[in-house]
Amino acid sequence: MDYIVKRTGFALMTLFVAISLNFVLFRAIPGGAVSGLRCQHCSVKFREAIIKQYGLDKSKWEQYVVYLDRLGHGDLGTSIADNRPVWDDIRQPLVNTLPMIVAGTVISVLLGVLAGVVAAWRRGTLMDTANTWTALAFYAAPTQWIGILVVFYIALPLGLPAAGIESNTLSIFGPPSTWAFVTDRANHLLLPALTLGIGLYGEYALIVRSSMLETLGEDYVLTARAKGLKNWAIVWKHGLRNAMLPLVTLIALSFGYIVAGAIVVEDVFSYPGIGLATINAIGRQDYPVLQGIFLLLTVAVIVANFAADLLYFKLDPRVTT
Amino acid sequence: MRAHRLAASALAAVLIAAGCGGGSSTNAPSGGGIKTGGVLRVGSTSYIDSLNPFVAIESQSYVAFTMVYPQLVQYGQGPKIEGDFAKSWTTSTDGKTWTFTVRSGAKWSDGTPLTAEDAAWTGNLVLQYASGPTAALAAALTHVTSMTAPTPTTLVINYDAPVDNVLPQLEQFFILPKHVWEKYAGNSGKDLKTFLPEHSLPVVSGGPYTIRQYNEKGTTVYIPNKYFYGPKSYASAVALTYYTNSTSMIADLDAGNLDFVDQVPYNAISSVKSGGRFNVQSEQSSEVTNITFNSNPLKPKNRELLDPQVRQALEYATDRAQIVRVVYSGYAIPWANMLSVQSGPSSGINWLDPSIKPLPFDVTKANSILDSLGYKKGSDGTRVVPATTGKYAQPAHKMEYGVIVPNSLDFNGDRQFQIIAASWAQAGVKLHEVNGGDSGPAYALETAGNYTKFDLATWDWNEYIDPDAQLSYMTKAQWFSWSDTGYNNPQYDAMYKQQGTITNVQQRVALVMQMERIIANDRPYIQLVDEGLVTANTKGWTGFYPDLGAYCKCYYTAPHRV
Repeated sequence: MDYIVKRTGFALMTLFVAISLNFVLFRAIPGGAVSGLRCQHCSVKFREAIIKQYGLDKSKWEQYVVYLDRLGHGDLGTSIADNRPVWDDIRQPLVNTLPMIVAGTVISVLLGVLAGVVAAWRRGTLMDTANTWTALAFYAAPTQWIGILVVFYIALPLGLPAAGIESNTLSIFGPPSTWAFVTDRANHLLLPALTLGIGLYGEYALIVRSSMLETLGEDYVLTARAKGLKNWAIVWKHGLRNAMLPLVTLIALSFGYIVAGAIVVEDVFSYPGIGLATINAIGRQDYPVLQGIFLLLTVAVIVANFAADLLYFKLDPRVTT
Repeated sequence: MRAHRLAASALAAVLIAAGCGGGSSTNAPSGGGIKTGGVLRVGSTSYIDSLNPFVAIESQSYVAFTMVYPQLVQYGQGPKIEGDFAKSWTTSTDGKTWTFTVRSGAKWSDGTPLTAEDAAWTGNLVLQYASGPTAALAAALTHVTSMTAPTPTTLVINYDAPVDNVLPQLEQFFILPKHVWEKYAGNSGKDLKTFLPEHSLPVVSGGPYTIRQYNEKGTTVYIPNKYFYGPKSYASAVALTYYTNSTSMIADLDAGNLDFVDQVPYNAISSVKSGGRFNVQSEQSSEVTNITFNSNPLKPKNRELLDPQVRQALEYATDRAQIVRVVYSGYAIPWANMLSVQSGPSSGINWLDPSIKPLPFDVTKANSILDSLGYKKGSDGTRVVPATTGKYAQPAHKMEYGVIVPNSLDFNGDRQFQIIAASWAQAGVKLHEVNGGDSGPAYALETAGNYTKFDLATWDWNEYIDPDAQLSYMTKAQWFSWSDTGYNNPQYDAMYKQQGTITNVQQRVALVMQMERIIANDRPYIQLVDEGLVTANTKGWTGFYPDLGAYCKCYYTAPHRV
């Protein structure tokens, strides 16, 4: 119980620090509410009015108090670029991104586990070497470069859509059927998810291989062999199950990174998710939106870390502090 | 991409200042057997940044304005001026009053009558806040003193002097729906900058299309406006998709997910041309790229960059040929004039001063000039500017400058920067790239501190057919509106005022050329290239007029299925 209380307290403290840093960060960079205004006589009164409208005429401390108060009420602020609540601007991109990163994570885990198990089982062979180097290569490759390769070698030959989240004609003449909507979305999700999956699988493959090698050297595996169990039973029932612990925690820990990693994938595929929203907000210097996105990403990482801590506590009885 | 219009080229004739005239609205090809219907799917790397004409910068926005807002006149095939909302027009004997007869019975897309009153109200609104919130449209109404609508079909425009280019100027004037916009006209016009029509869909339109779906960096859907007064569109809708990645755009074209690409990426032109699957049109555009110098005489730092001799040296150090070869794959020509190729002889009037030519790439010459100015190279190869005294005293400092590079360019701005930085380094000038972001923030960086903060930028201008607008961008009146240099030359400003009122074409040409020479000598820009315009469409569609771009409603109404 002490462990859970400690981890909860640590997570809350981290959250508060992150929220505060999020406030400081976006007030330390150039640009602001009046960026992009184009009129000679806007330079004095109008610019002041805009600054006042966004509360930027108050002292930093006052702004900080207002910021915390608003956050406490679930208000992320108002976009400078389109004058809408930040949450309205980022809700849909977030909803768009989540299925893509879930699909990407599933692809990466499946590929990673398969590659890691095969490499560990055939350790020292050409298969192991090829598997390991391939995993390393994809782990090291820039994700956007993988995306371009996917466009060239998968989208073009198969005629799959290389951009967007749905066909540009899908809903022009009325709402599509559920089936048409789902299949169209799935078609558009496939390549970004595959790119994310390929970009991430290498890390999982290396972890699984390493963990499997350790597990396969255990006495109970030797016992299983001595009992005459088939290879697949030894690998899946005795090896992989016990090697999964680091993988589970790695997935949880990397969740926040995956969301951030989606930025480059979404840029390649013009996928209107949280990554593209981030790039747009940077381009427009729309700091309230950027602040909202960063806050969400930060919270995602902290929550994922907290979940990993709890999971570890549950899965590994040795963990007590 | 900054400034309004998509490229025009190969102009056969331009109608300038008619005593009287009329519109025939030939903005769509006639003839039987044209297949109607189908969704025209357009791919672009340029996006609609807003449907508010007082705010937008991107050229794609101006295509949208042309489709959504009525204009008195527009360019038709030729291109030549023809009537759009105006059916005919006359001018008074003193040339100071123009009377337009507009279409009767026209309606906005929401069913509200569209009359001359909408035009008069918009015009007077632009005039009222011309040096403030409505400055972005004010250049089109230079010399206009007032507009009145004595009847629903009569619009009277009063000028303070006879103006030579009334019709080309009015082609840039978009008529807004008074019943939508008038509630934003108070508050000293401030609300005109914050109202975003794209948030109230479908947009109230008087043009051939209304916009039902808007996604700035996604897909925007144009649906025909059933009340449009002019020729109806052949397509049943236009779906414009913005691509963050040009490779994905070409992949979608190849996969049959697009029908038309409005600018093929330069590095993909050969692959799109190969195989003969697409109709590829290639021509010289109205887009001129440049290196921009902060030319505000009050700029406090790095004031050596105000010196025309330094700028001349830096032009010698600029390798245009490499930029053409690497950035444009050969689809551009080295350029030095502030006006584009389209203002040359093919326009019917040659506005281009033949004496203005790009300087050759000559680093030795560049070094020689900078040496003669006393800027000696330091141990690291970067030149040092000696300390100065007086009102604008500066300490000794290295010739190291930041270059703002916007990310909304239709060419590889980063690669272009690298080429410029490498060749300027040979002359002892060190550059670093400053990410400008989208057009709005990039412009904010240039105008920050009343044009006192930035040194250099790289950007481009998409130019109009008549040179007036481009000439105006160098005037003080355009500060914080379209001026991106902070250039301030009262003599030039006076000449600009004068050129618009000269009714003798040859005299006006002579004055315009004189203005070109002033800009060429002062070099607020080092002009780099005039870009090629390369479009591609599938064989299933025809009727494209890429050269008319945002000049003509036919750009989206004329394409039809084969």
